[in-house]
Order: sequence, then C-alpha cells, then structure tokens
Amino acid sequence: MAPIRPRAGTLGPRSILTRASSLLTSHKQETRRPFTQHQQQALATKRVQIYRSTTSDPYLNLSIEHHLLQNSHPDSTVLFLYINRPCVVIGRNQNPWLEVNLPLLRQGVPPSPNNPNNPNNDTNKTQTRPVALVRRRSGGGTVFHDEGNVNWTVICPPPAFNRDTHAEMVVRAMRGLGIRTARVNERHDIVLDDTSTTYKVSGSAYKLTRQRSLHHGTCLLSSPNLARISPLLRSPAEPFVKARGVESVRSKVRNVGLANEPFVEAVVGEFRAMYGERMEEIEEEEVGAASAMETPEIVKGVRELMSPEWIYGQTPQFTFSTHPTEDDPRERPPLPTDLPTNFHLHLTARHGEIQDIAIRGLGSDQMRDEELSRSLLKQNLLRIPNWRQVLRPTDSVNDEAVPEDVEHVGRWLNNVLGTGSSQ
Amino acid sequence: MASIARCLRSARPSGFSSLVKSSVSRPIAIRSFSVTSTNAIRKYTKEHEWIDLSADNKTGVIGISEYAAKALGDVVFVELPEASKKVKAGDAIGAVESVKSAADINAPISCKITAVNVLLEEKPGTINQVPEDDSHGGGWIAKVQVDEEGVKDLEALMDPEAYAEFTAAEGEGEDH
Repeated sequence: MAPIRPRAGTLGPRSILTRASSLLTSHKQETRRPFTQHQQQALATKRVQIYRSTTSDPYLNLSIEHHLLQNSHPDSTVLFLYINRPCVVIGRNQNPWLEVNLPLLRQGVPPSPNNPNNPNNDTNKTQTRPVALVRRRSGGGTVFHDEGNVNWTVICPPPAFNRDTHAEMVVRAMRGLGIRTARVNERHDIVLDDTSTTYKVSGSAYKLTRQRSLHHGTCLLSSPNLARISPLLRSPAEPFVKARGVESVRSKVRNVGLANEPFVEAVVGEFRAMYGERMEEIEEEEVGAASAMETPEIVKGVRELMSPEWIYGQTPQFTFSTHPTEDDPRERPPLPTDLPTNFHLHLTARHGEIQDIAIRGLGSDQMRDEELSRSLLKQNLLRIPNWRQVLRPTDSVNDEAVPEDVEHVGRWLNNVLGTGSSQ
Repeated sequence: MASIARCLRSARPSGFSSLVKSSVSRPIAIRSFSVTSTNAIRKYTKEHEWIDLSADNKTGVIGISEYAAKALGDVVFVELPEASKKVKAGDAIGAVESVKSAADINAPISCKITAVNVLLEEKPGTINQVPEDDSHGGGWIAKVQVDEEGVKDLEALMDPEAYAEFTAAEGEGEDH
C-alpha cells in the first residue's frame, strides 16, 4: 500500500538535493556549485526539476523515484533518468511465478561487453551476473532492463497528466536523433515500424496518487541481451498457474540502436522545451547511491522493495494445479517422467500463503498425503526455500536420504514454485 | 483515486466529456442502494471517492464514483484495504489497476476499516459496472467505523449535486 503522503505544501526532496550537492561532480555541460541555504530552498520549491541517477541498483533507483513522487512539490514537474543493471521488473499486481522464469533468472546473463564498470571484462567472459527480480509500485506488465536500456520518469500534477503526453515527448527525442518511425501506439508504448513488422522499444506504466501522477517508461537502446529477454519472461509454471491480477501482453522487441548518452540528452532537451520557461533555470541534478542512502525514506523504500514480502508476498491470489480443474480446465503438459505417475498437486495461495492444498500420490498412502497437505497449509511460499525439505516424511531422520519420489517432486516444485532464495 | 479521471480524459477525447456532462442532470443521490442504513448521506471527495454515512453517524461504506470508474477504463485488479486498519482522511487505503495504472484509493474521512468487498478480487470489473452500489454484489470497496473526527471530516466533502458540478467542470476542462 502506498505510504502516507505528506500534506500539501510539503517541500521538495531537500535531503537528496543537499546530499547530492556534495557528490556533484563536474558534469560536462554545467557548472556545479555547492548549494547555499537559499539555493536549496529554491530547488526544493522549483516547479521544474531534472534528476539523473548514477547508480545502477534497480531497487535504489525505484526508491529514489518513489521519494521524488512523494516529496516533490505538488505543483512541480520532475524528470528522472536512470539505468539499471540486468533485472526483470514485474508490475505491482503481477505474479512472479507466472511471469518470470525464476531458475533462468538465477542463472544470470553474461557481463555486459561494453560496461565500463566491469574492468575484468576480458578475463571474465564466462562469468554470468544474476538478474535481479524487482516488483515496481506502478501497474502494467513485466519488462527487462540492463545497461542498454534507459528508464525515464515524469512526475507531474494530476491535472496535467495524460497517458501519452510524455511518451510523445520521448518519441520527439528519438525522432530528433533520426529514428523517424518512432510512434506511440494504442497501448501507450513506443514502437518502431519496420517494413513489415512493428517492434516495441519502450513500455509505459503509471502510478497515480492523490497529489501526483507518475509515468515511467523503459527504452531499449542497445541491450546486448535482446535474445535472452523472451526466455527470461517465459515461466515453466505457466501451464499450471491461474492467477488473479495482471498478465503481461507479449510484444516483439528490438533495440533502437542509439547510445545512452545522446538519448538521455535528447529527452532532457525535449523536457526542457516543454516545461522550461527560461531554460537556464532548470539545472540537472545527479543523484548517487551514497547520497540517496543517506535519506531514511529511501533506505526504507529499498528495504521494502527488496523484501520477499513485497516481491513475492504482494502476489494476487492464484492456483497451481498439476491437472485440469473446474476453474482452470486447460489441458496440462505431461509432468516430468521421474515424478510418481499418480502425482497430483493443487494449491491456492493468497499473498503467498497457502490457503488450501491437496497432494496425492507422493506419500506411501493416502494418510501420508493428507498429513503432508495439512503440514503445508498456511505456510507461505516465500518461506519455502526448498521443497525437497518440506516434502520429506516427518518421521525421517535428518541425515536419512530423502526418498527418491520426494527428491524428484521437490526438485520440480523448486523449479516451478520456488523463490530460489537458497538454491 | 486522484488523477485517474483526468488522465482518461485524453484517452477518450471525444464523447467522454458529453458523457460526463450528462451526469450533471442525473441526480445520483436518488439512487439508493444502501442496505446498511435507511437514511445514509452520500458525500464525495475531489479525488472521486464516495462515502455513505449511516443515520447514526457510526458506520459508513466507501467506494469510487461512477465518474471515476468510467474514466478508469477496464479495472483489472483491486487491491483491497486492510481490515481493522485505522486511517486518516486522504490516506491511501487500497488501489485499483487499469490500463497499466496503479491508482490509489484514499480514505474520504478518518475511519476504521471493518470489512472489505472481497468480491472485487474475483470480479474487479464490478467497479466498472456498479461502482456506487453499496449492496451485496455492488462495487463498494470497504465498510468502515466512524468516530467524531470522521464525522467532522465529512464537512469538507461534496454532496451529490456539488460533486456533479465538480465533475462537469473537470470534463469541460478537457476541451481546451
């Protein structure tokens, strides 16, 4: 739930500004000075503000963004630009087990070939980096970010808000850089029209609070992981899961083929053209990890976004059934051949908590299966790091070998229903 | 519920404003769905929530307005308030998602949530169909307990006529 917002009249993100001032390095085009008291005040109340993040931590960037949403002056318009390390970002009301291939996420992606932060690039070519799983606070579907993707956010007062205004702003920036076929489609995404196909390059999502409207979007510019996106967003649990909430709409994606910096500068330019009365008045502020983490609200936000309770526990109710049910009569794919032939599992989870569960064909007899089902009732999926453990017969001694059936079912469930925290 | 209504204006540039305007002449207050009390007073916030207060000023029902529901577009998920939670006027108590937008539902007055409409989790589209229906099967969001502070908060809200004028003005703003 959105935390309590400050009352009207609360001034801007002073803490970020104050701290950012100490970090402000020489930015290419602008002169940086430490803020005087007077300047801080001015910035906190300014009607048009531009921030660029220097961190690639997705949890931190989303928390800085949330801080700007909650603390910028109610009448102000704010642009925030950030780039994340590889991560999959699900919408507020989505189901990670349904949207994401969690085992593949843990396997990670190769290090970015052109990442300047990776000096060991040459020697570490085989090493992969895990892909973070992030649940954002805005609505919409699942997207992939990496260093070849730039995220842009515009926060504005509700009366000025509409779902296309700022996507159009980004389209103007792209066209200015020679991407002539860029346009906003009916889903408020930015697409490029090729000769025969239309590709999505930017997805939109929104968060609307009482006083503020937030529109953020991705923009795939030069991701080296393009071919990996689709597998990452295909869940092995999909045939078995029926979920309330929001399902993603698949789109063909491609890179725009621009470098990050010219794109960012063009977006800033278009934003200034829209909102700057006197351009020189809108300064760009850099926000770094060190300064942001000195702001208690941002630290709290990061902690919340990184918690399993938010990432998994916020999931709307869903069922998982190995076989067709009245509610979900889809034909199921064959289960792995090493599972017991008569194995059945049906469970309903709400906020991750198992509301009802029926296991069949795993224990030595029906009583064992019922006992096992009872032991799992009210347990939370996000607290089941390893299904092989929870499926063990209760009377087995710790060092006793796990029965083969349990081993196989456990391994499969780790794959389709795990959170992977200890695998 | 803040900005939704506004953002949708642009999504439906034509026809929508006239739709909104037509609601001006429709006396919403006459539609009495209340099962919780006979003489409930309905009030609206600028952010498009409504609250019915029971005649004894002790309990109420909260929902989002028809205007907002129309403006929202297809509601695909409703995040319900937490039962037994105490909230202040303006606090976010839940959210609705439609067209990639997570929009806060705010408490119209200070109150304590006593029950939530679990039907909405299963059938979020109920919000689009009968948003101002506070009976069983309706699109109401939560039932609440109200104390003196809550009753006082009510003074700042609009009655159905004032709200109809307010939304008509919002709809007109769109034409510029």
